[in-house]
Amino acid sequence: MNPTLLQFVLIPAVKIAVVISIILFVVVYLVLLERKVNAWMQSRLGPMRVGWHGVLQTIADVIKLFIKEDITPTHVDRLAFFLAPVILLLPALAAFAVIPLSGQPFRVAGVTVTPWISDVNVGLLFLLAIGSLGVYGIVMAGWASNSKYSMLGALRSAAQMVSYEVPLGLSVVSVLMLAGTASMVGIVRAQAAAGYWFAFWLPYPQIVGLFLYFVSGVAETNRLPFDLPEAENELVAGFHTEYSGMKFAFFFLAEYINMILVGCIVAVLFLGGWLPVTLGIPGLREPLSNFLPLLGDVGATLTGFFWLSAKVLVVLFVYLWMRATFPRYRYDQLMRLGWKWLIPLGLAHVMLTGLVMLLSRG
Amino acid sequence: MFGTREMEINMGPQHPATHGVLRLKLKLDGERVLETRPVIGYLHRGCEKLGEDRTYPQAVVYTDRMDYCAAYAENLVYIEAVERLLGVEVPPRAQYMRVILAELQRIASHLIWLGTHAMDIGALTVFVYGMREREQILDLFESYCGARLTYNALRIGGMPEDFPEGWIDEARRFLDLFPARIEEYNRLLTANRIWLGRTRDVGTIDGPKALDWGMTGPCLRGSGIAYDVRKAIPYEAYADLDFDVPVGDRGDTYDRYLCRMEEMRQSRRIVLQALERLPAGEVRGKVPRRIKPPKGEVYHVNEGPRGELGVYLVSDGSENAYRCRFRSPNFVNLQALPDMIRGHLIADIVAVIGTLDIVLGCVDR
Amino acid sequence: MSKIVRPQDSVFRKLFLLELLAGLWVTLKYQFRPKVTQQYPRERPELRPRFRGVPRLRDHPDVEGPLCVGCNQCALACPDRCITVIAEDRKVGKGKQARSFYIDYEKCCLCGLCVDPCPTKPITAIYMSHDYEMAKYRRYEFMSDMGVLYEGHDRTDYKK
Repeated sequence: MNPTLLQFVLIPAVKIAVVISIILFVVVYLVLLERKVNAWMQSRLGPMRVGWHGVLQTIADVIKLFIKEDITPTHVDRLAFFLAPVILLLPALAAFAVIPLSGQPFRVAGVTVTPWISDVNVGLLFLLAIGSLGVYGIVMAGWASNSKYSMLGALRSAAQMVSYEVPLGLSVVSVLMLAGTASMVGIVRAQAAAGYWFAFWLPYPQIVGLFLYFVSGVAETNRLPFDLPEAENELVAGFHTEYSGMKFAFFFLAEYINMILVGCIVAVLFLGGWLPVTLGIPGLREPLSNFLPLLGDVGATLTGFFWLSAKVLVVLFVYLWMRATFPRYRYDQLMRLGWKWLIPLGLAHVMLTGLVMLLSRG
Repeated sequence: MFGTREMEINMGPQHPATHGVLRLKLKLDGERVLETRPVIGYLHRGCEKLGEDRTYPQAVVYTDRMDYCAAYAENLVYIEAVERLLGVEVPPRAQYMRVILAELQRIASHLIWLGTHAMDIGALTVFVYGMREREQILDLFESYCGARLTYNALRIGGMPEDFPEGWIDEARRFLDLFPARIEEYNRLLTANRIWLGRTRDVGTIDGPKALDWGMTGPCLRGSGIAYDVRKAIPYEAYADLDFDVPVGDRGDTYDRYLCRMEEMRQSRRIVLQALERLPAGEVRGKVPRRIKPPKGEVYHVNEGPRGELGVYLVSDGSENAYRCRFRSPNFVNLQALPDMIRGHLIADIVAVIGTLDIVLGCVDR
Repeated sequence: MSKIVRPQDSVFRKLFLLELLAGLWVTLKYQFRPKVTQQYPRERPELRPRFRGVPRLRDHPDVEGPLCVGCNQCALACPDRCITVIAEDRKVGKGKQARSFYIDYEKCCLCGLCVDPCPTKPITAIYMSHDYEMAKYRRYEFMSDMGVLYEGHDRTDYKK
């Protein structure tokens, strides 16, 4: 076979298929995990009927959504109404193109395969850019629905997502400064070379950056305590009030994919991506960095994937944990928090990081 | 071409946050509420007319269906009004039992308020915790009278039965556990900055204005006016029991929240005292088999969980009341809603509806 | 009368989000505590002895025939007027007994007022049973005659 074709079309296509199926699988179980974790925190059991302890619940829900009648209300703008879920979902999926799922390339049938779809040297910028596209889907959905509740939800969402882009961007600046590269793979490699996660960078741990990114990420994905666009007690269901069936499922899917994406980015930028938790501890690092030695390269890849998933899972758990605990912000308070606290905090954080870097270099 | 337009939006009658079938016609400027018009009557079942059509003991069953979150309080006020018409004395043990159940009902009702109020503001877990504790109170009620929601737990002249065996111990166990649970709600909400932001200075109403609207109950006390029927016109055994009436001063949602939280603690105190002093003896006074009060009229009030419950009965000497009228605190408190949310944001509407603690069954009757 | 107590928060607690963490700690603790959910159709709730389910009739403990004497007191006491009793002379012994007894469960509100005036004390002929599953497919199925009132309703038990 033509090696160029193989390298630039076939292998990426397979990788994309694999990544998307992993994401969909994770979404299905993330929904279940959310319901279970929330239930446990509320002294309940959660789904218990479909399968053992409800393990097939989400699959049953998906089937239900598939076979539901797909209602298009009469007064909607049909084209925008159909496009909105797609426009929301596509950037969410596309963002995974630059997420390194593991660190170790492996060889299959004489071809070296990297465990990331592409390593763009402006990966972080790509993420920021594509992440901010999602808001169009939401605004379109709200506008096309021709419903007042959807409209209010979409407007809230637009304002919220645009505002929180700023602290989101600021929180990654310090990581860029520390890593010296915008490539996602490069950032993890920089952490490996330095011997610490950026969250635990010693003179000045990037906890503030982690906190900022996480808070802004929660706001970007419209989750509690920042779930104003779909605050069901106020706006019924916000921008997707008029959607049902598979189109609703697309919104749902996009929300959860974005959650996973935030988890991945937090893990990669601040928690060392595929690196083991024992990074920097001399005795433990070596055995744990590849605990599947018999499998060789593939083992190392899987080990890296394991560590990344573990970190993402922790971040997602915090998401669900916050949802079970906190009340919801009000619209004006959310804006005040974003502009008056998070942005100044982000600026201060960037400056402090720069200062510490300057001083520690001597 | 450019300009702002007011948006009219319909909230309810089917809406997650309107606690039943309340419909609000809102006029919005962006997210700011300019005007609110509550539309009620979707749950009107004619409880007052039924109270005139049915005999006195039968009408008790319909009071259950009015404020279904605090059915016992409605039972109590109606029964007491009939007893006053008849001139019947209630045995002391029955009086104490009535107080115990009424205060347990107040805790249960406040737990529903806490749960739904918190859930409207987004705190999902408090709702489930509140329901969990309420369940234990419902178990106590089930154990006492056999029903969990619509109790019909009183008879004219006293109580239908004495407490079953082990009931008092079970009640004590619950009350011992309860302060720790209130502490958990406190941790989840009271100092939480988001909760403070959502409730402080929201839906403010000052004392004189609240009086003008005729508000009663925690909504009035949150505005700094210490009016509680249990202290002002003591009924049953309340005169013998020692308790405080918590009073706020700002009149905002947060003060009303703190008032109700404190009321739950005070109710617990009352129940413990009443259990301690529970006298022995009969639980059912002497009443004729056919209840035929002499001609006359009576207006009787009680302190329900949501405010002053009133019953006005006119007797023409027959087995049915000639006129039966209920004063619903929910209905009266709801009137202040447009005033309380003018100029606030949409999100505050749900907070204010939550803090008014309305039950539409009682508003529409 | 007492003033409400407002929580006092220090700047330190506010700065480090400690009150938010306290809330998170509560929910985290509950994650590992026993749960309170009852798996209803599989697990049935434990009813208290005085539970008021749908009203039913009792047989006479000593002689053949119904315990009910057909006095119509329960029908008069019923606020929903859902009871109909027709009396006849008792076949065994003296007095009367109910020839037919109907309760319309569609109307019944389970208040228990019918049990109070029943003259066959201390064991009342009509009693509030522990049946509570009353869903039916046809409206006429709610109209219960003596057969249903003695036997009780069909109960579906869920396995698995």
